[in-house]
Amino acid sequence: MLSKRLVLGFLSASFSVQISAFVVLLVLVAGLLNPLITYDPVADVELSRRFLAPSFEHLLGTDGQGRSVAFRLFKAVEAFFFPGLIAGVIAVLFGSALGAMIGYLGGATGRLLAALLELIDTLPRMVFLVLVCTIYQPSIALIAAVSSVMFIPSVATLIRRRVEALGAEDYILAHIAHGFHPFKIISYHILWLQCRALMIRQLIFVFAYVLFIETALSYLGDYGVQEPFASWGNMVAQARSSVTLWPWLFPALAIITTIASLLTLGDAIAQREEEVKR
Amino acid sequence: MSGRLDGGAGKALSLWVLKRALRSFALLVGASFLIYATLRTAPGNMVDLILGINGTEASRAALRAEFGLDQGIVMGYLEWGMRALTGDLGRSVTFSPGDEVASVAAGAFLITLALSLASLLASVLLALALALALGKPQPKQDLLLTPLSFLNATPSFVFAVALTHAINAFIYMQLQGGGRIGPAWYPIPTYQAISDSLAPFSFAMISIALGDGLFMDLFNALRAELRAVGGAQYMNAVRAKGAPTRPHMVKNMVVPTLSIFTARLPLVLSAVVVVEYIFTLDGSGYLLLEAARVRDVPLVVGVSLFFITAVIVMNLLLDLVKAAVDPREVARVE
Repeated sequence: MLSKRLVLGFLSASFSVQISAFVVLLVLVAGLLNPLITYDPVADVELSRRFLAPSFEHLLGTDGQGRSVAFRLFKAVEAFFFPGLIAGVIAVLFGSALGAMIGYLGGATGRLLAALLELIDTLPRMVFLVLVCTIYQPSIALIAAVSSVMFIPSVATLIRRRVEALGAEDYILAHIAHGFHPFKIISYHILWLQCRALMIRQLIFVFAYVLFIETALSYLGDYGVQEPFASWGNMVAQARSSVTLWPWLFPALAIITTIASLLTLGDAIAQREEEVKR
Repeated sequence: MSGRLDGGAGKALSLWVLKRALRSFALLVGASFLIYATLRTAPGNMVDLILGINGTEASRAALRAEFGLDQGIVMGYLEWGMRALTGDLGRSVTFSPGDEVASVAAGAFLITLALSLASLLASVLLALALALALGKPQPKQDLLLTPLSFLNATPSFVFAVALTHAINAFIYMQLQGGGRIGPAWYPIPTYQAISDSLAPFSFAMISIALGDGLFMDLFNALRAELRAVGGAQYMNAVRAKGAPTRPHMVKNMVVPTLSIFTARLPLVLSAVVVVEYIFTLDGSGYLLLEAARVRDVPLVVGVSLFFITAVIVMNLLLDLVKAAVDPREVARVE
């Protein structure tokens, strides 16, 4: 039944959404295949084929050390894929729990929690990430953890608004009058039935953010993925030393296309859910 | 506070200002405590972490006193926070040994503040202009807006890299064709002080204004606000009277624009860190990353405090401006 809805949704979506879904599927497949394929980035160095333009042998050209850009693009998905997914799940779980709590409790406790979330929202994310990376041992797990914490406020605010709006609806009041446990009303009738698409969208957005932050930090070079291992960010960084466009153009395009697709797909999912409801 | 401003309007206003200022101070305390707590919960010995193996007994003791490490987390925070409030943020360890963190960080912060405000302002004005030019959403506009939506997904660092390459290609072409390149243009990635040239500064500004989805975000928000204002009842009254609509639109757009402006400040200050680094503008972002590279914890903490204080103070100031422009704001915020 779910697959039927997915297919129908895909077919009825606009062209740009279909392309986005395709790109996201590609990243998904690449991310899942990644652990199965081993790659020795040092053995791949072959200086006789540096800076080659795209050809059949090297689909997207080669970089400054003669490594195939296409293969490194594929291998670099690993750097953000699982951290992004895990960060997304954590941010959505905690964010919706907190948001539902604030929306349900209201009053002084709710205000206190909301103030705490506002506190996290005022911190410039990059600054806080650099701070945490300086104090703790920097790793992608730490970066993903901090990003998920940074996103809890935005998820919580969205869910809280939904909970507050739905709490005044007649059928929710009827559930309350029937004596359902508040936990069941919130977790099933509100969060699961009414906020699913919203939560999926936020998960996708957090994933996109982790991809963004991982590439940015890898570009800067100190905290993210470091040479010789591949990341779209440190591949873009080769722009600093490369004589041709090829080593960094495709990674840059990959970043832009993937983030664009993720955002488009997330919005489309949430929008479709709204339409179905109406 | 209820919406009643009759009678003691002035009193209500000053009370509101006081409340708002207290709230900002509470945020500042909370944020600095968050930083201090991060510092205190770090695995291993803080002093060893900061000084490494080449710390003398005296410098160790000084550092312990500076961060209040001998006390509990709350007392230590209070002591550290009180000193930070008076402007004593300790001394740099490895980046510029012995210098006051406060003076090193403050010097760099001016460029960062200028850069972030300039780029945010540019982005807002550009977005407002586009929103005004496009008017009501029409299907034909998709031709323009679909490519533009890719800006939503372009990180500012990718934008900056592409921009640098484009500029370098342009300079190369000029040199090939026998043209002369002014000193303000040429060495973009190696640049010293803001007085040298405005070129890297403006490229950084463009990257921040258009990258990270800031522009499209502002455009969408402003467009929604424009539609909301345009559809309001009083605008119908203005139209019915035959009066010019633009002055009324502009006046009613000030507060929403300021709100949108404030909400994006943290985002812009995040982008500044990376973009400053790419264009080697020696502002706080550059300083932060350079200090982090050599693990100069006091300096990193000091610079972060500057960033956070800037966000909170700017929020406060813009809220006051909003209240001055539209007194209803006072009633709106609880």
